[in-house]
Amino acid sequence: MRKLGYITAKDLLVVAKDKGAWMTLLVTPLVVIVVVSFALSPVYKGGSLHATLLVTNHDAGGMGKQLTASLAARPNITIQAASDRESETLKQGGNSFGLALVIPKDFSARVQAGQSTQLQVYEDPNSTTSAPFLKGMIDGAVNRFSAVEVAAKVAVAEAVKQNQRADAAAVAGDATAAASAQMSNQPIQAKEQPASGARQLNTFDIETPGFAVMFLLFGVMIGAEGLLEERDKGTLGRLLVAPVSKASIIGGKLVAQFIVSIIQITLLFAVGHFVFSMDIGNTLAGLALMLVATAFTATSFGILLAALTKTRRQASSIGILAILLMSALGGSWWPLDIVPAFMRKLGHLSMNAWALDGIKGIIIQGQGFSDILLPAGVLFIYGSVCFLIGLKMFKLRGP
Amino acid sequence: MIVQADSLVKKYGGAAAVDGVSFSIEKGQIFGLLGPNGAGKTTTISILSTYLKPTAGEATIDGLSVRRQAGKVREIIGFVPQEIALYPTLTALQNLKFYGKMYGLGGAGLERRCREVLELVELWQRRHDNIEQFSGGMKRRINLGAGLLHSPRFLLLDEPTVGVDPQSREHIFDTIFKIRDNGATILYTSHYMEEVELLCDHIAIMDRGKVIASGTLRELLKMLGEGGVIELEVAPPGCPSGLETEIASQQGVTGVRREDNKVFVSSSNSARSLPPVMKVLESAGCEVGSLELYAPSLEKLFIQLTGKELRE
Repeated sequence: MRKLGYITAKDLLVVAKDKGAWMTLLVTPLVVIVVVSFALSPVYKGGSLHATLLVTNHDAGGMGKQLTASLAARPNITIQAASDRESETLKQGGNSFGLALVIPKDFSARVQAGQSTQLQVYEDPNSTTSAPFLKGMIDGAVNRFSAVEVAAKVAVAEAVKQNQRADAAAVAGDATAAASAQMSNQPIQAKEQPASGARQLNTFDIETPGFAVMFLLFGVMIGAEGLLEERDKGTLGRLLVAPVSKASIIGGKLVAQFIVSIIQITLLFAVGHFVFSMDIGNTLAGLALMLVATAFTATSFGILLAALTKTRRQASSIGILAILLMSALGGSWWPLDIVPAFMRKLGHLSMNAWALDGIKGIIIQGQGFSDILLPAGVLFIYGSVCFLIGLKMFKLRGP
Repeated sequence: MIVQADSLVKKYGGAAAVDGVSFSIEKGQIFGLLGPNGAGKTTTISILSTYLKPTAGEATIDGLSVRRQAGKVREIIGFVPQEIALYPTLTALQNLKFYGKMYGLGGAGLERRCREVLELVELWQRRHDNIEQFSGGMKRRINLGAGLLHSPRFLLLDEPTVGVDPQSREHIFDTIFKIRDNGATILYTSHYMEEVELLCDHIAIMDRGKVIASGTLRELLKMLGEGGVIELEVAPPGCPSGLETEIASQQGVTGVRREDNKVFVSSSNSARSLPPVMKVLESAGCEVGSLELYAPSLEKLFIQLTGKELRE
């Protein structure tokens, strides 16, 4: 056991003095997390999707302004007025706003007369996130004006039916005004508020866990490469002819890698929490358990990688492919909520998905300790299987 | 005998890297294994160091079997591999301390041995420098030092001077003599014959996994003839068969070997042997195309034994 400890201490010293390793373990993931989080912050503003709508209002009456104000009142939309020239650009598809709304000049007049009217909506076909969201918002606002239009039509028809010789236009005007007033009071309102116990998310809550798990795997890949390098450079051979058991050699190396993984993921979460206000949920013990389970599974993945490859180059190329695949499938890059059900199931073949189920459950959904026992348990089983296979297959001696 | 190797065989698939190697090493001896790359030297040393298990045969070190008592063998041997088996980002002292701990050293004893070894390889002043900052020769010296920390009884050195400058080579040679003077037995592999000639008390020449000659330097050179070798190239159609017996009976001649149209004559005195040998050839009607006289050397012996250069 003492020699196992010496090997662990030596490996930790080697990693501590390796500036290149720390670039990969900490600096690179932090840069990626910060860039992605800031880049996506408008999308996830206030914990939900947020978008800017470009509006060109040609309406001479007041209802175009009312419609715009109604949209602007929505918490997740920023209205930006566009000039005629910009409208023309939009019409030709040369915009980058996802969606643009053009209100015609006779919008108020036609609504007040109880006549049908059309709003022009230009959609960027390349926008897959904000355009559908904005379209839904516009539909909601337009429906209210349609109701006003219908009210005016009904009032005129009723007046004609009762043979009242009143001026149809005056009746329509009165009906419009009354309907508008009623609509502005909004007899039925849906008020948005966070679910009980939930809190406002920040993008670091969403992005940090996924990228931290991915770079944890890159960290163990470096460890696997280091193990193969020791085999190539003779340091492992030198240990094998010293009075040290093989269990101490491999155990010492695995313990060192596990400690490095724990330090790496803890530091990434610590920076996320203390510098970028990432939430760490309500159960620190639960989060610690998830981080330990994740680091253990990642370390086991490392020994499996070293066992399945013969050279550093092989470990690097196969490792990168496996890590990127697991990260994409397992939800490191995007939430698994948005992928089809079969992809979600497929994703749970990767360790990333289970790690993120637990970690995001704590951070985003406010889950408690007992809630994360399933993902933590799956990770320990997953890691143990990888560990045993890797240990059986890894050859301490050269090929 | 501190080391006894008996009919060692190591096969990879069907190919034998070591094929029936036997030798013995006396205590306090520097024993050289000389041979070209691929001769089987590293495989032999790997078996003796317990790194590889032989396919057949047995070897003992101080009476301990490398097959059955590998753990005990590892405690009394020191191994210096051909590679620079050090951690480049750690300092010389950190490397030595780590390997010392692997051999059970610790505390003040480890500190003292690290200092002694660093002074022995003359790098005490550079102990806090990272290995990656060292020259190739200095790395080799630390590589050697890492195998000495536990004062092994038997030290295996696998080509310890590969790629070093002459000054560092001298340092390494001096260190090896000091280690021997302190009572250790050394097995030294090399494909540099001049190193083996200079260092080794006993030499085994290996080729294609076999020991093809063994003895002291003097004994080996005697195989060529102490007075040197006369190499004669005879013009076609060559000499009649049976001429070797007549050449061998001439004054000072100790051996004759024919290879195609070449005749190699070993002699205790080449200058004296040359006239009667030429006379025999003339009488037999052989026309000598070229003639060369050379002093005996391991290089020439290797060529005589294998028909190829040692450095091939």
